[in-house]
This record gives sequence, C-alpha cells and structure tokens, in this order.
Amino acid sequence: MTAVTTTPPPRLPVRDKAEARERAWGGVSPMLTRLAAERATGVLVRERGTLHLAEGRVVHAESPAAPGLGTLLTAHGTLDADTWRQAADEAAEPPGAGLLLVGRGRLTRGALELCHLETLYDAAYFALAPSSTPGRFRYTSPGRSGAVRAVPVAALEHETLRRRDLLHRIWPDPATDEAPLLRADTVALPALTARQRAVLHLVDGVRTAPEIARAMGRPAFHTLVDVRRLAAAGVLVRGALKPAEAARIETTDPDITLLKRLRDALESL
Amino acid sequence: MPGIDECLLEVMQLPGARGAALVDWTSGLALGTAGESPGGDHETAAAEAAELARLAAEHRAFAPDDPENSVADPPVEDVIISNRDSYHVLCFVRTSFDSSVFLHLWLARVEGNLALARIRLGEMTGRLVLG
Repeated sequence: MTAVTTTPPPRLPVRDKAEARERAWGGVSPMLTRLAAERATGVLVRERGTLHLAEGRVVHAESPAAPGLGTLLTAHGTLDADTWRQAADEAAEPPGAGLLLVGRGRLTRGALELCHLETLYDAAYFALAPSSTPGRFRYTSPGRSGAVRAVPVAALEHETLRRRDLLHRIWPDPATDEAPLLRADTVALPALTARQRAVLHLVDGVRTAPEIARAMGRPAFHTLVDVRRLAAAGVLVRGALKPAEAARIETTDPDITLLKRLRDALESL
Repeated sequence: MPGIDECLLEVMQLPGARGAALVDWTSGLALGTAGESPGGDHETAAAEAAELARLAAEHRAFAPDDPENSVADPPVEDVIISNRDSYHVLCFVRTSFDSSVFLHLWLARVEGNLALARIRLGEMTGRLVLG
C-alpha cells in the first residue's frame, strides 16, 4: 500500500492593510516616500532599476530597460564614443561625466540638463514599476561631483503614474512593452509618422521595445508610446518570448505561479 | 553657459511674456517652467500644449514641400496661436540628440511683439542646446 501525500495548497497572498492605506493616495513606493521625508542620501535598488537620492531628492536613475545618458549623447553624434568613455571613467556616475564634459566645453549645460532629465524620468518609470520583491536602500555619503538637476520624489512618482495612464489610454495591453516585436500582416499600412517609421524599421521579430530604444538612442518610454500606438493601429504584434525572458517570467514562487496559471486559464476561456 | 532655468528666465525678459515652459511633446512633461501658467496649472498646460505640438510635428500636411527639409525632425519650426488677449508660441527645439522638446511662450497681446518673440525664441533655444 502506498501512502498518498499531497502538498498543501499555497497560501493566497494577502495585501498588508497598513501598506494599502499608505498606497491609497496613489504613491508608487512607500519606501521611497519615507526616504524623501527623512532627506536620505543613498541608492535605492528596486527590481527593475536604481534611483540615486541626495538629501531626499532623486539625482540619477538607471534601469536596464532605459538607455543611459551616454547612449543618448553618442547615438546621433552629439559626442563621440571615446570622449564619453573617457569622461565616464573619470566620474562615478553618468551625470558626473556630463558635468565634466560641460566643464571642458564639449557639451552645453542646457543639452546636459535636457538629456539628464529625460533619462532620469525614463529610467524611473521602469524602476518604479510594480515589483515582486521589496527594494533595498543603501545609505551613502554625498557625491563629490554634485548633481545636474535634482527632482523631488513626489514629482517623479506623480509623473510615473501619469505616464502609466498615458500608455494605458493609447492601448491598454502592455504585451508589446517587453516582448520581441513582429510586424503584423496588414493589408494597408496606416499613415505613420517619421518617428514611428524609425521604430518599425527596427522591428525584426527579435528586438524588444527597450532594445529598439537603445538602438535609436531614444528614451525607452518615448519608444513605448510609439510601440503602443503601432499596436493599437494593428501594425505591430508581440512575437515569441526569448528563452531567457521566459525563464525570468517563469518564477518559482508558488503564489505567483498559481496566479499565473489562473490568469492563463481565464484568458483561454 | 545657460541651463534650462536661465533660458526660461531669459524668455521671460521678452516684452509681454506672461509664462514660459520647456515641454517634452511625447510624454507631456514640463522639464522647466517660469512665470504664470496659462489656465492656472503648469502640468495641465504642458500636457495640452504637448498634444498640439505633437499633432503639428507629426502631420504631413504641415511639413515643407521640399523633401530636403522634411528630414528635419520635426519638420515644423513653431506653432502660433492667438486669442483675444494673448499669443502662444510653441517653438520646437532642435537638438543633435534624439528629443521631442519645445519651448512654450505665453505672451500678452497688448505688450507683446509676436514677430520679435518668434525670432528671439529660435535664438534662445539654439543657444540652450548648441551654446
């Protein structure tokens, strides 16, 4: 006789009520709000990106999904790659490298501020995306090179939520945000803008929207706006996920796998 | 060398200037603002102006006929709106990197000089990014 043992069903996730109250005002990260209130200096590492804080304000942001300051400035020849690399080696962070180049007369203050703000809001959009793991904060001493521009946390969170809304209003399905993109078989192509044609030109069934953004030297959110508009027009569809990407999404957490199986079952109804 | 704030303060020196903002027309984000905001709220004004700028920048009908010039991104230089008491000038900023930014000037109609403002905005946006 064999004893049949079954594994107990996974616990259903329950959202912490206190946390829910804190979120009720629409904040994206309660931890970030606390850090802003205590005027913290350091680095907040979240699942999809990193925010650098100085006295509670955001001075730099990075995300693997968003092209950095160097990519933006070298992609169209504003700076040559060697000039940027030299400055990046001398400075701790990209904004510091930008300040060095302004000091040497290679870049105007205005161009640096513009690119810095664009990359900061761009990377923060991804860094502040809903995540499955809590963020970690490391306190550091204030940087030596100074900040290009410091953005208040509230303004950054507000803009991130506004950007989510903007994408949702264009086309509510986020399927094309991270997957490899394919051209759809359309009989008649709608009139496309020059910026959309540039995006579509790089769609090859392999590249994802963030990869296209990097190749164009354009902020990733700006690329997502065009990708969603192209998806809404029926010009683009999601291709097959790459194995590595599928593996990242294939989590081992029983709660999440259960929810995903439920979602897939519901979607196939 | 001027940064965004210095550029906006310079724009506000123009006769009749009521408010100015540097806005990204893809996202609708105001990267900097100075003076009053049309409609009372800088964020809403930026988002609304961005919608208009985007339409002007994207539609083929507003591009020059000459195909050589149409490679400029965007093909439009500025958008001008007038109403009973004011002008709005949206001046596109040309950059050597990929961007979608314009300068929005709100000008009182009585004191302002539209022709002068349009020329000066072009110079100031040029200095902002090119030095």
